[in-house]
Amino acid sequence: MDKKEVIIQTRGLRKEYEMGSETVYALRGVDVDIRRNEYIAVMGPSGSGKSTLMNLVGCLDTPTAGEYTLNGVAVQGLEDDELARIRNREIGFVFQTFNLLPRATALHNVELPLIYAGISAKERSRRAEVALERTGLADRMDHKPNELSGGQRQRVAIARALVNEPSILLADEPTGNLDSVTSADIMHVFDELHQEGQTIIMVTHEPDISERAQRVITLRDGMIESHDAKLEHRPFGV
Amino acid sequence: MNPLEGVVLALQQVWAHKLKSAFTLLGVVIGVTFLIAVITIVEGMNRYVEEDVAGTLAGVNTFTVVRRRRVVTGNEQDDARRRAARNPQLTLRDVEIVQGAVPEAWLVSFYEDRGLPDVRRGDERRTNVRLVGGSPDYAELQGWTVETGRGLSELDERRGLRNAVIGSDIIESLFPNESPIDKELRLGAHRFRVVGTFERQGGMLGGFRDAAILIPFSAYRQRFSRSKNEVDAISVKTRTEDEFVEAQQAVEAALRSDRRLRPGEENTFHFETSDDILGTWRTISRILMTAVPGLVLISLVVGGIVIMNIMLLSVAGRIKEIGVRKAIGARRRDILLQFLAEASTLSLVGAGVGILLGIGLATLVERISPLPAAVPAWAIFVALTIGLTVGIASGIYPAWKAAVQDPIVALRSE
Ligand SMILES: Nc1ncnc2c1ncn2[C@@H]1O[C@H](COP(=O)(O)OP(=O)(O)OP(=O)(O)O)[C@@H](O)[C@H]1O
Ligand SMILES: [Mg+2]
Repeated sequence: MDKKEVIIQTRGLRKEYEMGSETVYALRGVDVDIRRNEYIAVMGPSGSGKSTLMNLVGCLDTPTAGEYTLNGVAVQGLEDDELARIRNREIGFVFQTFNLLPRATALHNVELPLIYAGISAKERSRRAEVALERTGLADRMDHKPNELSGGQRQRVAIARALVNEPSILLADEPTGNLDSVTSADIMHVFDELHQEGQTIIMVTHEPDISERAQRVITLRDGMIESHDAKLEHRPFGV
Repeated sequence: MNPLEGVVLALQQVWAHKLKSAFTLLGVVIGVTFLIAVITIVEGMNRYVEEDVAGTLAGVNTFTVVRRRRVVTGNEQDDARRRAARNPQLTLRDVEIVQGAVPEAWLVSFYEDRGLPDVRRGDERRTNVRLVGGSPDYAELQGWTVETGRGLSELDERRGLRNAVIGSDIIESLFPNESPIDKELRLGAHRFRVVGTFERQGGMLGGFRDAAILIPFSAYRQRFSRSKNEVDAISVKTRTEDEFVEAQQAVEAALRSDRRLRPGEENTFHFETSDDILGTWRTISRILMTAVPGLVLISLVVGGIVIMNIMLLSVAGRIKEIGVRKAIGARRRDILLQFLAEASTLSLVGAGVGILLGIGLATLVERISPLPAAVPAWAIFVALTIGLTVGIASGIYPAWKAAVQDPIVALRSE
């Protein structure tokens, strides 16, 4: 295995929710190391903590305990503004439910992260167009989400996640709301991105999807059950 | 991020929900409309009163000695009024004293005046006429310019000639299509000859000059006055403002010594200056200018509360959007700014509508009354500042609520 640079490292990551008198242990000490250009599938039964892990890694949520280092930066204890900056620059998040702004066009949705990055209007639309072309949606830029199919919406969401050239692309069941044909299209997009060098972590329930990944992390009851590496049949470019 | 996006969004929403926006902005609109209308009218009045009224009614650098105050300003005590009622009538003797007290170069005039039931010319008649018996300098001192013919002369005065100079309203009524010069008029039982006309003054108070007929004081005294030596008023016009104070003091001293008033005793006469006339207006405008901000403030506070509630609803309905924005990198201040911009835009739209309505209202008042309307630029500036302030004040709390949303909680909300 290549001695690639580790970009994500978690140690003893815990997340607990107080539900009245009860405490829900969503994550109970998770250690993961993810290297540049890896394509990781996160699997596990419902309620095992997959989304919780993704949200922590994506800096959308903060852990109850444990350490999380992203690109050499200790994320725990960072200021709100710093976390926002990381979400903006380092992370691209693709959701199961797309989470697009309904009133904005595809182009504008993709431009949003660039707006918060403080990039000029001209440069913004240029880069948003490039991102949309990459996900195969060059001809639908002026459409609003409700004028697009589910697969097209997810392509917009992927373009939005990619537009700031993040170190890592996170996808939480990106095909969960799509039919199998469309799912295959979307998975193809992820394959291409990976081949272009993108680091990807994807939550999925589908074994055949996880086949495409280099490594599968399986969670059970908030803990890692197995790291299953199958590098042998997945080439990756830089 | 750019607050411009918030502005555009707010404008889109105002446009998309016109009726809702109208109600949302009602308070701000009413407040600003009111503010603009009142400022406009008061400003217009001020300009009018200071320039036109002060300049024509009493004349610049002019003061007039009268028996008692004629213009009620409302800030005069009752007992002062009762005392003044006992003041003696001014007489020709007082005229001589005033003339003796000031240099000859200054204009001194005296006059009596009264309303006439009508003035006739053949079968034509006009009611609502003011007859003024004035000394030769009267017209010049009042600033009444002769337009055609001539004014009254020393000769007219000395001989008590039945000559008259008439105002433009009289000409309109009795000589619509011809020159009035050398024509005859009947004032009551007496025939007078028109020798000149006065330039039209117009406006709210122009009625006085425009409906006046000026005849020699001596002619007036013989034919229209009950007493033979009383006068209504003695006016003095100085050339400069410095002389004005000086002249007033000199006249006061002369009249007091003639009337043997001891130091500490009140004057038994009254000086009327343009301040007297302006005083009434100043009182009204002061009341308006103090009462109005209170009313405006109330409607703005109410308007602000409404906007705040609408913004809270808007934030509550867009938690998911806030979550999405935060997930892709919006900082607290970005969200704060977005909603502040939205609230400010809303409020500014209200202020803009208010400004237009206010100007409209002022214009309407100008049309149906003689008041002139002048919209000062500062009023528009003030209104916009108020709009912005209300927007920020009412938007800050909802915007803050939006800004501190936890990204994951916001994303999960429906
Ligand atoms: N906000 C929350 N409050 C309380 N409990 C929560 C919260 N979010 C998640 N949990 C609990 O944490 C555990 C892990 O949830 P998580 O969403 O990570 O599961 P998952 O593996 O993504 O499941 P699925 O496959 O159904 O999406 C679950 O028991 C869930 O009920
Ligand atoms: Mg999940």
